Amino acid sequence: MAHRKKNRNVGIVGVGQTKYSSHREDVNQPEMIHEAVSLALENAGIGLNDIDCIVHGNMELFEMVFQPDLWHVIGTGAYGKSQYRITTGGTVGATIACAADNLVASGMYDIVMAIGFEKLQEGHTTGGITNMADPLWFRHLQTGALTGTKAYDMIREFGEERANRAAMMYRIIMDKHAGLNPNAHRSFGLEFDQMGDLIKNSPKLVGDLKLIDMCSQSDGACAVIFMSEEKAKQLSMKPVWIRDHVTVHREEIFHLFGYDEKYPITMTHTLAAERLFKRNGIAKPLEYFDVFEMYDPASWWAVDWIRDFFLLKGDEHLRLVENKDIMIDGKMPINPSGGVIGSNPIGATALVRVAEAAMQIRGDAGKHQIPRPVNHALASGFGGTMWTVLMMLEKELNW
Amino acid sequence: MAEYFGVKVEDIFNTMQERFRPEGAQGVDASFGYDITGEGKWKLTVRDEKMTIEQTGDLSGCAVVTVTDGETFVGVNIGKVDGMSAFSSGKFKAEGDLGALGKTAKMFRKFVPLKKEMSIRDYLMDMFGTVASRFKAGAAEGVDVVFAFDLGGEYGGKWSVIIKDKTCRVIDRIEGKPTVKLEFMDAKDYVDFSLGKIDAQSLLAAGRAAVAGEINLALKWAEFFDKYVDPMGSGEKEQELLVLKKTISVEQRYATGPVMGKFLNGLKDKKIIGLKCSGCGKIMLPAVEVCADCRVRASEWVEVGPKGQVRYMEYVYYASPDPLTGETRETPYGMLNILLDGCKGNETFAHLVRRDQIDRIQNGWNEASGTRVRPVWSKNRTGSIHDIEYFEIDE
Amino acid sequence: MGKRVAICAVSQIKMDSDYWYMRFQNMLLPCLESIVEQTGVTFDLEKGIRDIITNSDDVFDARTISNNGVTDVVGAHFRGEEKMAQEGINGLGYAMASILSGHDDVILFMGHCKESQTENRLMNTNLAFDPFYTRPLGLDFLNASAFQAREYMKKSGVTDEHLAKVVVRSRKNAKKNPNAIESKQVTLKEVMKSPLLADPIRQLHQWPVTDWAFGMLLCCEERAKEFTDNPVWLTGFGNCMDSFFLGDKDLTSNFSLKKASERAYKMAGIKDPKRDFDVVELKDLFAYQLPMWAEGVGIVDENKGGEWIDGDGPDKQNVNLSGGMLSGSPLLLGGVARTIECVLQLRGEAGKRQVKGAKRAIAQGTYGAAGQHQAVVILEK
Repeated sequence: MAHRKKNRNVGIVGVGQTKYSSHREDVNQPEMIHEAVSLALENAGIGLNDIDCIVHGNMELFEMVFQPDLWHVIGTGAYGKSQYRITTGGTVGATIACAADNLVASGMYDIVMAIGFEKLQEGHTTGGITNMADPLWFRHLQTGALTGTKAYDMIREFGEERANRAAMMYRIIMDKHAGLNPNAHRSFGLEFDQMGDLIKNSPKLVGDLKLIDMCSQSDGACAVIFMSEEKAKQLSMKPVWIRDHVTVHREEIFHLFGYDEKYPITMTHTLAAERLFKRNGIAKPLEYFDVFEMYDPASWWAVDWIRDFFLLKGDEHLRLVENKDIMIDGKMPINPSGGVIGSNPIGATALVRVAEAAMQIRGDAGKHQIPRPVNHALASGFGGTMWTVLMMLEKELNW
Repeated sequence: MAEYFGVKVEDIFNTMQERFRPEGAQGVDASFGYDITGEGKWKLTVRDEKMTIEQTGDLSGCAVVTVTDGETFVGVNIGKVDGMSAFSSGKFKAEGDLGALGKTAKMFRKFVPLKKEMSIRDYLMDMFGTVASRFKAGAAEGVDVVFAFDLGGEYGGKWSVIIKDKTCRVIDRIEGKPTVKLEFMDAKDYVDFSLGKIDAQSLLAAGRAAVAGEINLALKWAEFFDKYVDPMGSGEKEQELLVLKKTISVEQRYATGPVMGKFLNGLKDKKIIGLKCSGCGKIMLPAVEVCADCRVRASEWVEVGPKGQVRYMEYVYYASPDPLTGETRETPYGMLNILLDGCKGNETFAHLVRRDQIDRIQNGWNEASGTRVRPVWSKNRTGSIHDIEYFEIDE
Repeated sequence: MGKRVAICAVSQIKMDSDYWYMRFQNMLLPCLESIVEQTGVTFDLEKGIRDIITNSDDVFDARTISNNGVTDVVGAHFRGEEKMAQEGINGLGYAMASILSGHDDVILFMGHCKESQTENRLMNTNLAFDPFYTRPLGLDFLNASAFQAREYMKKSGVTDEHLAKVVVRSRKNAKKNPNAIESKQVTLKEVMKSPLLADPIRQLHQWPVTDWAFGMLLCCEERAKEFTDNPVWLTGFGNCMDSFFLGDKDLTSNFSLKKASERAYKMAGIKDPKRDFDVVELKDLFAYQLPMWAEGVGIVDENKGGEWIDGDGPDKQNVNLSGGMLSGSPLLLGGVARTIECVLQLRGEAGKRQVKGAKRAIAQGTYGAAGQHQAVVILEK
């Protein structure tokens, strides 16, 4: 069996996030990272000396720094410690959370801090993303992560009016959530009655993907501290437990959905969800989870991916959005933090999903705390060419 | 004129001349209009690395006209409002050539607002006005005290800061017997003390200040409240935050390898050749070494196309710079996923479409064919993606 | 811990100074095919490879998310894939953690780097420095190392002639290593007359431009026999980060290497590094680093680097019989190349350079200016 019992339990005991913003000229990269590191240590109530190992992640070409963990040691506090640098794409934040979980569970380290960061104002984000395509072919054609395919796909499936309204409803809900999160980068104060206006007036980027649909380009850092069960007991802490995680990648592709129903496309999101839920015995994910922090780079993708991740059929995902069930006080709250549309410091973004999920379980998310008990959380990361990471977090060790 | 964040709209325009950077205006020959709702219209003209700005009702002939309100305009200029956000939400609109608007960013140094003076009275209002927001509730567990302030002199007054049940409120009088009372002969001393310009010890020693009641508690003020931050900063121009601008380029020599190389060589001969997987039969375009699905090396070459049908077109309004050349494509343009003749399902080939035909392209779906297209070959073919200039409608 | 991780198979292509006719993908695919052939491993979700660790670098590949370019040739279609974005040897540590944690029982580890693609690999390393201060000063991994070389040579009595001996010996050893870069044999004199790049580092003291790719299959102890009759056990790993600014550290202290070794030795139960290893492979990017890292891992007494070379210490302790970094390996992958060499030795597959009855080996890898980050693995038969 490829997946065995975890060697030992691991939980999150501290979370630190900077404010996400496009105006962080007041700090350089290590200084900004250090803000998150200090906050995480304070949040956990431990000192830098207690950390055994640090895992660093971002994408080098956004800031054009080669192996930036070397310079960033000034802010990460990795001096004298074990240190790894593990990256993927936009998924990287989730990847380092998975890595931190593995490193602690292995018994090699008791306390590991994962640090994700990006300072997107220091480079050209869309140019940087375009740079991921093959230099001999698709790099000449791609426009970063901007694509109208999902809008086209949803409009074809559900009609122009319903698809547009669902995407914009999702967008406005995220804006409202971001308004509750003091760290969020963007919160416009959008109201539901602006839906028609926004659909009509927001500038188009690609196809029906509009500027308002797309995530921001943020500066920011996030640090999360992972601890073994034994250590947590010793220090009388109550961690948020990492139950399991799964990563599903695929090769560079030019088609994100199929053009012919005879040749269906398998979505990595669905595969990841199926694998994770199956091996953890989750039959009804929509009922099981109390919150989902989803990596939602654009509102169209987000609406569609709700279907993928919760293994839904037909228009169930649209109805969740239309009925506002995904709102913070709804029956399946999604991104009470405001999500990636609200803040996107790419190297940190997927780690923020894990951090926010943990905060919801701990009940210390402040104004964006879900007004119901949160026991089971799901967090996702997205990057590369439809790469996905899913992590399950639990309040109790009773699974 | 109204002020936004302490700055008038006209301040921005009036300082343009002194903020102008001729080196940033190289090659620019255009006029830029600004229509600021309720404030007026301005026209900026740039030519030969010189500029003029005039307030005028006539914005004809401008390459681009910015339409926004005063608050957004000032906010974006001084960095209080995020430009991209304002643009996304429609508060900041640009009519005309968007690319031209981008050029104005390089032509000017950032506007740095000069601060007005604040009076002693302004300071006192601000200091007591922000006490509640600076209160650290977490540090006041079980604390039940009243700090009284009795400040003399021309601008003086009396205030009480009441902490109870982890909440804090401020009233502008002293009632009953406070826990601790701080007296300053001159309110100005209190302001200077709070700004860190003078220390308490010397005031107490000089008899210009006194503490009554629980003296130790007076020292604990800093535990309950965040430090007061002077909104004037140093009283001088706000520090300009420096950023280092660099273009980093390292020359690369990308190998094409035997597989991609063979494919690219095919283009030289106006042939599109793909690799077919011996396992699943999938055709890969451009040709790559391995079938990802089956994890086997592919070795059967097949010629396909060169004509085909459009399965999907990306209608692109926003182009990023091409990281290989630094150049930005003209928009809008269309990027096609083409099902070349001889391919099936999702075995599509990505390329551009003739720009003047983008509005005539129909996507295919299931059995229904999309617009038929054919490649337009470049005259000088070198074995690159550009050997095909673009695809055009096959009619 | 008491648990071991098995290295079931290794594969590589021959190191070359310019694979101009191959993409990364062409370099990696034979490595994958070799691993599958040696072990019979599949990508079955229950019994085979479910998660892959890759090793490459965005700056060296000039590609954002460099692993995106190789997902297909490492078999990562609908599988987990995570990239070590640091010196590859750390991938061994992470693979070990992934397996010991219980999350995985089989890990495929693959990496590539093509130093010939970039105009100048030192320009890439200049980008590791902060953009405001040290980068404009022109620091790179070469001249930063020169500071260290000068201090170290003074401290340990290492001379220009000693360094020439290291280079001559490397080339001699590399003749017995079919995977090493082909280079001509040089004399002491030629080395000592080769141009200075950054005093005291000479042209022939520097590792050659190398293109290379590798593959490795690791698995948990219980399942090793399914994939090989000849497992090599990964029993210890340690790494450590030092300060960034050169002025903030004692350049000759071997601070991070000593800590990394300590951690690995503790895990593997190594008591006396001078006697416990039959094979030693060190990442000598520059000739002075062979004695310096040897002191760092504790196989040579402190400050005795010069005497060690004089006394044929490297031969007596079987250090870099492969030729080491000086006979090839990309900057990014040097530690993995050293590890693979140790695996071949412990498997008894090292050909003409085989150490008879080799039972325990140590490999070291480093990245950053003047050995800022160091990592050590312990391998056993």
